[in-house]
Amino acid sequence: MKRRDFMLAAGTAAGALMLPRMAFAAPGVIDVYFSSDQNVIDFWTNVVKPKFEAANAGVTLNLVDGGDGPGVAAIGDRAMAALASGADPQADLFEGFDTRVTVDGIAKGLYVDFETAGLSNYSKVNPLAFDIPTNLPYRGSQVLLAYDTTKLDPANVPKTWADLVTWIKANPGQFIYNRPNKGGSGGNFVRRAIYEANGQDPAAFTVDNYTAEAGETMLTPAWDILMDLAPSLFDGGAYTSGNTQSLQLLGQSAVTMIPAWSDQALSAIAQGVLPETTGLVQLQDLGLPGGFTKLAVLSNGANKDAALKLADFLLTEEIQSAVLTELGGFPGVSWDYISPELREKFADLIPQSIPNFPSGDWEKAINDGWYRAVAPNVDPAS
Amino acid sequence: MTVSDAGQPVLAAPESRRPIGLLLVAVPVLLVIWLIIWPIISAIIQTLWMRLPEGGDTFSLETYRFFFSDGYSLSNLSLTLWTTGVCAILLLVVCLPIALYLRFSDSRIAAYVQGLAIFPMFVPSIILSFAFIRVLGPNGTVDLLLNAMSLPKIRSPYLTPWGPVIGLVWDNIPLTVLILLSGLGNVSNQAIEAARDVGAGRFALLWHIILPRISNSVLVAISFAVLGIFSAFTLPYVLGPAAPEMMGPFMQRTFRELYEPRTAITQAVITFGFCIVFGLFYVRSVAKNRTP
Repeated sequence: MKRRDFMLAAGTAAGALMLPRMAFAAPGVIDVYFSSDQNVIDFWTNVVKPKFEAANAGVTLNLVDGGDGPGVAAIGDRAMAALASGADPQADLFEGFDTRVTVDGIAKGLYVDFETAGLSNYSKVNPLAFDIPTNLPYRGSQVLLAYDTTKLDPANVPKTWADLVTWIKANPGQFIYNRPNKGGSGGNFVRRAIYEANGQDPAAFTVDNYTAEAGETMLTPAWDILMDLAPSLFDGGAYTSGNTQSLQLLGQSAVTMIPAWSDQALSAIAQGVLPETTGLVQLQDLGLPGGFTKLAVLSNGANKDAALKLADFLLTEEIQSAVLTELGGFPGVSWDYISPELREKFADLIPQSIPNFPSGDWEKAINDGWYRAVAPNVDPAS
Repeated sequence: MTVSDAGQPVLAAPESRRPIGLLLVAVPVLLVIWLIIWPIISAIIQTLWMRLPEGGDTFSLETYRFFFSDGYSLSNLSLTLWTTGVCAILLLVVCLPIALYLRFSDSRIAAYVQGLAIFPMFVPSIILSFAFIRVLGPNGTVDLLLNAMSLPKIRSPYLTPWGPVIGLVWDNIPLTVLILLSGLGNVSNQAIEAARDVGAGRFALLWHIILPRISNSVLVAISFAVLGIFSAFTLPYVLGPAAPEMMGPFMQRTFRELYEPRTAITQAVITFGFCIVFGLFYVRSVAKNRTP
């Protein structure tokens, strides 16, 4: 080959590489993006995917780990741009997502309104879990305390907030919670402290009752409670940067007790990430808060109908029971739609109500306030 | 990377070839303007012009005033500067001996040392972070080894400002070693031997012969490391303390969790202001090299 021909060929090849890659979602492949941790993706891989694909020939699930909330939010932003240009968003369903995050997403109709989508199981959804019509709750989880039974006798485990505070102070360096914005286990521990500072009344906080003054008067006492705990925490006031890191510290026996998500703690024990000697306990005066995980279906996804079928499938008794038995979470549907045996079996483990702290402005105030007031670990007045 | 080529003029281009040369650099220059310069300008404009509620824009330094009067933001900035400074010093202390050894050793071990020094380049920082917790974290491998020798546990750097420092230094060793090594290529063996002949000791060699010749490379290596460390995200996020934060996690949190894009962009512009100083060092040293 002459040098000139070679240059031409190389130039064409390079040019072809530089062209924008035209990618389309494959027909019959539902692209699901996750913000949840690995244990949830494992649950989908091992339970949801085989069952759904068996029931719907020709449809397959492509499970993609979006990393975290912002990771999936970025896919949402891409879908928003695709909506404007009429392109294929290459995504169909978001797991663990709040549709409010995408600016103008709801207003422009990016997300399917489940109230009008005609899901056959929609009426079964637990009324406590309803949020907005574009968010479909399908599973719940609650934060509880995970502890090392070799260091703390289950008989002496703290069962109220006051006992917990006494225990933390009596055992300095043995408790750690993660930063409230980095994984909900620490976040809901912080929210439990906020309830404690406000008469243990979850009803005091709603999505729309945040004002700057309310934030000031209701959150400041909670920061005092947490500041008071800080010197007795691991390393004199260190905070891990995620749920997994807290589990790792408990697993390395560096601490005795952590707040943890029920589902994550159960699967960690099942996989040996946490030893079998790990105990789980919920506070009895008022549980640590939890919440429902929501799904969103993109209205411009190439496989929207299949994705809606999948959303409906997730609300069936088969999957909802598996959420209890396989994932260690709570069903997203009302307890009436769970088999009586399971209802019986889990009656003791699961409280009648899960305190659910509102997101929105409160969340922002908590994230900012905690970082400014509690995390620096120094008295702001000094 | 040709960051510290010997100072040879690239192509003594005659007058007629100039348009082609300019055309060739046009694509990268335009890309830089479009993807880097323009976003910077637009970011600065966004932070300086505030949209009024009744419509219209007004010039305002409000977000900057807030940043520089807010103790929390300032402590984040000073932690970032501290981390960057400490990392830069540690990197020089660690990498210069490695680079000198690799340049002047003929033994076979040198090849293995080089491989080992370049190794961190292939380890993603998130994996490094969790490995760090396993090894240097509380009750980690180091503690287990110390315990086996009946020695007391270490004070774990995990979740303290030293966590990110150790991680970032490890992560930046390959680039720094490579740049220093390329600079050491400019030190001729004859110069060393000549100095030895007139009786220069090891330290005198380093100080009078080697360092003056690689000062440019040192500057470039430090600039590169500083630019990377100043805006580091993963390692400070996973290994560092909750507060103060480094600017990377701080910006991300302000943008994503506090939903305050303007404040986040202000933080980014301030970060950029510090980085550009080191960027200019780099540009200056490259330009100095290019002029014969």
